Amino acid sequence: MMHELFATPMGALFTIFGVMSLIGALAMVFSKNAVHSVIGFLFTMLSIAACYLCMEAEFLAMAQVLVYAGGIVVLFLFVVMLVELSKRKDGRANDRGAMAVVLPLVALLAAAFGAVFGGICFARGADQALNLPPDLAQGMDVAGHNAQAISRGLFAGYLLPFEILSVILLVALVGAVVLAKTERV
Amino acid sequence: MPSPNFALVLSFLLFSIGILGVLIRRNALIILMCVELMLNAANLNLIAFARHSGTVGGQAFALLVMGLAAAEVAIGLALVVALYRRKETVRVDEIDLLKG
Amino acid sequence: MIHGPLHGSLLWLIAFLPVFGALINGATGRRARNTKLVDALALGSVGIAFALSLFYFIVLMRQPSEGRVIIQELWTWVDFGGAHVLDGLTHNTVSWAYRFDPLSGAMALLVTGVGFLIHLFSTGYMAEEREDGRYYRFMAYLNLFVFSMLNLVLGANLLMMFLGWEGVGLCSYLLIGFYFEKDFAATAGKKAFITNRIGDFGFLVGFFLLFQIYGSADFSTLMGMTREVLARPEITLFGLSHAPTWWFNLAGCCLFVGACGKSAQIPLYVWLPDAMAGPTPVSALIHAATMVTSGLYMIARLNFVYVNAPVALSVVLFVGALTALVAASMGLAQYDIKKVLAYSTVSQLGFMFMGMGAGAFTAGMFHVFTHAFFKAALFLGSGSVILACHHEQDMRNLGGLKDKLPWTFRSMLVATLAIAGIFPFSGFFSKDEILWKVFDGWYRHGELGGSQLALLAWIMGMVAAFMTAFYMTRLMIMTFWGEYRGHGHDPHGLRALALPDEHGHHESHHHEPHEVPWNMWVPVAILGGLALVAGFLNIPHSLHWIGSSRFSEWLSPLLFQVGAPEAHEAVPAMEYVLMVWATLVWAPGAMLLAWWIYGMDPSWSKARAFVARFPNLFRWVHNKYFVDEFYEASVIQPTLRVGEGLWVVDGKVVDGAVNGAAWLSLFWGRVSFWFDSKIVDGLVNLIAWLIEQLSWAFRRLQSGRVHQYAFVMFLGFLVFALWKFLV
Repeated sequence: MMHELFATPMGALFTIFGVMSLIGALAMVFSKNAVHSVIGFLFTMLSIAACYLCMEAEFLAMAQVLVYAGGIVVLFLFVVMLVELSKRKDGRANDRGAMAVVLPLVALLAAAFGAVFGGICFARGADQALNLPPDLAQGMDVAGHNAQAISRGLFAGYLLPFEILSVILLVALVGAVVLAKTERV
Repeated sequence: MPSPNFALVLSFLLFSIGILGVLIRRNALIILMCVELMLNAANLNLIAFARHSGTVGGQAFALLVMGLAAAEVAIGLALVVALYRRKETVRVDEIDLLKG
Repeated sequence: MIHGPLHGSLLWLIAFLPVFGALINGATGRRARNTKLVDALALGSVGIAFALSLFYFIVLMRQPSEGRVIIQELWTWVDFGGAHVLDGLTHNTVSWAYRFDPLSGAMALLVTGVGFLIHLFSTGYMAEEREDGRYYRFMAYLNLFVFSMLNLVLGANLLMMFLGWEGVGLCSYLLIGFYFEKDFAATAGKKAFITNRIGDFGFLVGFFLLFQIYGSADFSTLMGMTREVLARPEITLFGLSHAPTWWFNLAGCCLFVGACGKSAQIPLYVWLPDAMAGPTPVSALIHAATMVTSGLYMIARLNFVYVNAPVALSVVLFVGALTALVAASMGLAQYDIKKVLAYSTVSQLGFMFMGMGAGAFTAGMFHVFTHAFFKAALFLGSGSVILACHHEQDMRNLGGLKDKLPWTFRSMLVATLAIAGIFPFSGFFSKDEILWKVFDGWYRHGELGGSQLALLAWIMGMVAAFMTAFYMTRLMIMTFWGEYRGHGHDPHGLRALALPDEHGHHESHHHEPHEVPWNMWVPVAILGGLALVAGFLNIPHSLHWIGSSRFSEWLSPLLFQVGAPEAHEAVPAMEYVLMVWATLVWAPGAMLLAWWIYGMDPSWSKARAFVARFPNLFRWVHNKYFVDEFYEASVIQPTLRVGEGLWVVDGKVVDGAVNGAAWLSLFWGRVSFWFDSKIVDGLVNLIAWLIEQLSWAFRRLQSGRVHQYAFVMFLGFLVFALWKFLV
């Protein structure tokens, strides 16, 4: 399997960045300091963006960096700063009792997944092409002209979800303002 | 087309770590971040399959999910802030007003 | 059964007219302002009934002697639907029917005729009651009594007779206790009714026996079937098997017990003297002329039973003779005028039963008629005396009334001569005929060898006849001769202390007794006249040159003939000897003795000396041999004790059971309550508790903590995912 992972240069890079994202995720989850968790989160987001690049989804990689690493992480940092600095650190960060229960469960989940999909994913002949219905960007080179392909698909084929998403963003905007409002205003 | 196997495994691992975080951590913000992690894992999965099939639908979907994640984070953080203002804490095990 | 050729359909009116009078008077009499209306109704109903009886009597006289029966059936009264009798099931029914034949016709005439006279007398005697507002009640009761008595004599079957039997008992109770506010009157009424009841039990047993044997209650059927019943060798009833004569004896004795109650024989005579507490017309009608003769009528009607029941006849003879003697002896020492007459009645009834017991049914019945006349005359006359002397009944306070009440005196004198048996008054013919027949039961027309019982009975009867003449003369002398002692003028100190009398106390110091109004002395005179002449209806065969024995011939077709009728032409000399002895020596001797003791010496010193010499004997006789006290102690008190014992049982056991049931219900209620509150409610509470406990478990799911919710969500997702992918 190692051989396969590093078969192509893109694959090798993908593997490296994948591991980095895992490290970041673990740091996020098991860190005692909230700021450290945010940093881990940022690391993970960037690593995943790099993974996207390795998978020839450039637009999405850029979008990931912009939205997550740029907007969301900053938001998280703001709120963490707001909340954590005025609070003393007491108690444990993790709930030991919950960990005793959850870890085995997650391990079970992983084992189950491995058992179910191991044969499927890593068997011979799993590299066959998926036969998906053709979409509007058919014919275009998704990897080569990624942005154009995505724009063709998004604004022509999936226009309605796009518009709904815009409404959702509006609602979220208004909701955030309302929820975070202070009483004295 | 290259097999999406590694991406799928990676996405699964990230997802399970996200779940672990949600269930273990007591800090509301960390929980929200873990939720974002789970969404990212799902995005990874989508893009892997989009690449594997050569269509653009998966990537469009991942874009939409990203936008949605952003909206969700905004609301979630506003909630945490509002809650912090009331209860002076962000630890979820101290907020049990709905205890029955 | 022959229906009358003309107007047989009016027979029912004879009985029903008085009851209509009773109903109308009873219902409306209280409001009638004018009591003359009540009079008219009461007298009219009985008078018309008498006229109808006379009419039918004449109709009957015109028939040949075998066909003298008029029957009217009104409706079917009782339908047993098949009763078990001797020969299996009988489908005979008992109907409400009237039978007018020689015997019942004669009795109907007597009842309505004497009844009418006594009604007339009552209009004068009960004059005070007119203002008191009780008059209508008396007349209504009298009418009801006449109705019951007519049912008794005119009834065509035993059940009708029993209906009348009970009815006269009821009316006797009502009338004796007419002044019910007086304790002793009410008690006397009760005594009469209860004693009658005891007799009725015997009557019923006899009735049931006869019904079992014959299968019918109708007199025509009974008379027709008797020869056939007698011809059987054996009759089996109730598991007992005996000759028919044995059963007839039994039935006859049981029926005679009823007659003892109704006709006041030993031992059930005790009610008759006490019945004098009722008004005097009642005593005359019921206890002299009519009701007390019911027993005799019953025996005459059922003669076909008695003729074939020698043992029963002997019982009748002996009891009758004994009663005659004992009652006559009691009458010797009484001072109340009505009590003397009461004992005289009992004694004369004994004579009549003696006649029946000797087999002389017609003689007995004839004495019924003559006794009705002279006894009613005596009672009504004494009623006149009592009223004239302002309700004074004690003879010691009377006297010298023969000039003050002339008509009453004359009528009573005639009646006294009749009862003593002086020729040619009616009592001579009837009483001497009876005594002769009794004697002949032993003498057998000169052959001798008859039953000794008959001789004994004859001796008792003769002694009773002597006593009868004696006390009747004593009564007449005490009442009518001498000086009137009512004013307080009592030179010889004979007055008795005034007892609390039963009819209010009128001042008797100022009024001189005088003759009573016409509606009172006329009936007495009529009855006295009848007592004079009635004897000529039944001249015995020995005196056939005077007249014929019409009465006997009139009744004889109804009598059961055993063997060939005797056709004695030769009359034994003994009969004449006894007749002359009785009327010329025996009875006048008694009267002269009474005159010598009471009449000649106004101070009655010989009587007083006798009483002084034999005080205990006098005490016993004057107190009627303490029979009443004996009954009280031996029968009545134990019954009362038993009643009290049962009362205690009822109070303890029955009430205890009821209270125990109540306690049990309460206890059960408490148990149910406990059950309900502990177990049922406990069950309900248990369920609630269970749910509460369950809810505690579920409550912990709602911790209010978000991450727990998330965990549960994750678990759900896990289960779902695994199930989806693995299953």
